[in-house]
Amino acid sequence: MISLGQYVPGDTIIHHLDPRVKILAVVLMSPLIIAAPAAGIGLITCFLASILAAARLSLSRTAAALKPVALFITAIFLMHLFLTEGRPLLSLAPLPVQVTWDGLLQGMYVSWQFASLVIAAAILTMTTLPSELVSGIERLLRPLRHVGVPSQDIALMISLALRFVPTLLEEYERLRMAQMARGADFTAGPLARRMRAVALFAIPLLLSAFRRAEELAMAMEARGYHRGPRTTLRELRLGPADMTALGVMILFALLYVALRMIP
Amino acid sequence: MIQLTDLSYRYDRKGPDVLRGIGLTFVEGTHTALIGANGCGKTTLIKHLNALLIPTAGSVSVDGMKTSDVASRQEIRRRVGMVFQNPDNQIVGMTVEEDVAFGPGNLALPAAEIRHRVEDCLQVVGMTGLERRAPHTLSGGEKRLLSIAGVLAMEPKYIAFDEPTAYLDPSGRQRVLDIIRRLYAQGMAIIHIAHDMRDVAGVDRIVVMDRGAILIEGTPAEVFGHADLLRSVGLDIPAGTGEAR
Repeated sequence: MISLGQYVPGDTIIHHLDPRVKILAVVLMSPLIIAAPAAGIGLITCFLASILAAARLSLSRTAAALKPVALFITAIFLMHLFLTEGRPLLSLAPLPVQVTWDGLLQGMYVSWQFASLVIAAAILTMTTLPSELVSGIERLLRPLRHVGVPSQDIALMISLALRFVPTLLEEYERLRMAQMARGADFTAGPLARRMRAVALFAIPLLLSAFRRAEELAMAMEARGYHRGPRTTLRELRLGPADMTALGVMILFALLYVALRMIP
Repeated sequence: MIQLTDLSYRYDRKGPDVLRGIGLTFVEGTHTALIGANGCGKTTLIKHLNALLIPTAGSVSVDGMKTSDVASRQEIRRRVGMVFQNPDNQIVGMTVEEDVAFGPGNLALPAAEIRHRVEDCLQVVGMTGLERRAPHTLSGGEKRLLSIAGVLAMEPKYIAFDEPTAYLDPSGRQRVLDIIRRLYAQGMAIIHIAHDMRDVAGVDRIVVMDRGAILIEGTPAEVFGHADLLRSVGLDIPAGTGEAR
């Protein structure tokens, strides 16, 4: 349903890690990637590659996770390629731009940096069930309860939203078919008419979403939903593997920072 | 025991009464079917059983606790389970097991107890092995079974079903009816809104509703004896059900 790094079932160490560890790892990696010099990005690439290998995520899976942002990455690359000054590589004479060596290198470096960020996040979502991700977020937010952040309600909201995405998509498809069966055409004609045609099912879709929400609220109440403490099926517990993974991450970050200190 | 005393209900203060002077009791170990034409107030009535709606006049008490008493509501909802008509709009979890765990989680039960109930309830409805599936990948029949499992996980004494066999194919319908029969055999009180008269032939008692009031009440044989009356409110009796069971 969400194409950006959809969950890939597996039975690896990475899959079994506590979601909190994986979320923290991404949070820790991100600034390292953003602040990485050209040499650092090589180190990070090796690190990400070894995690991908450990999680048995193939290159094609990883590439698929990058697909939604491919256009964006290409744009970043081209901007650097054409707009960086330096030693000319290729002159595009009557045009006022030129390709430089510096632009080529800078473009490759920045787009690889961005791709690494996406891959780091995709490893998290590809190896963690959405439900585990939500409970991980909930547990990480839990200390904020004391300042009034309703972590359990936030987690429930996220999971309800994720739960209903496919249902609403199905409904959208059904309404579209029903309109098409009655002769509506969403693909031809002037823009104004096409927009009117879209409104024809946008409104019923919205109305039915509201009706669903109302019924859902009642069903939740009937099953004892209330504000206040609730428990869950799976209580997250950090095991030895999780502690090791966290240790490895911190060591990597320290090593990385230390390497940067050395001129 | 659930006792409804002279219950009336209106959605709007100035609107008409949608339920009028209902008096009924539901006892553990009995199976009651609620029948009547569309819009006669069956669904509105069962929503009163676990305090989703509070009577405008009269009262509902569950094992002596009044539904109008806010402090008793959580306990009433634990005892009275409700399976709504559209399973899609009552599945909360992102996976089958998490959905079943929702109710016990609201009761703040420990994780081990929740796990135990999830396994039990999925087994009762025959969905063992589908724990990790996302709800939208289930068939219509499986969604219905999941909605039942989610209610059973609260371990209710009473359970109300709103047209549990609607939109099911014959085998799905049979599966749901078998589950209801088993729950009844375990001593639960079943309250069952039915459209298909074949579903109600074997029940202990039939309550026929018409325009917000009780028209007749009795055993299937007694109720189906009033064929003309039933036909006058738009209900048809199936051939040969009078002496079923």
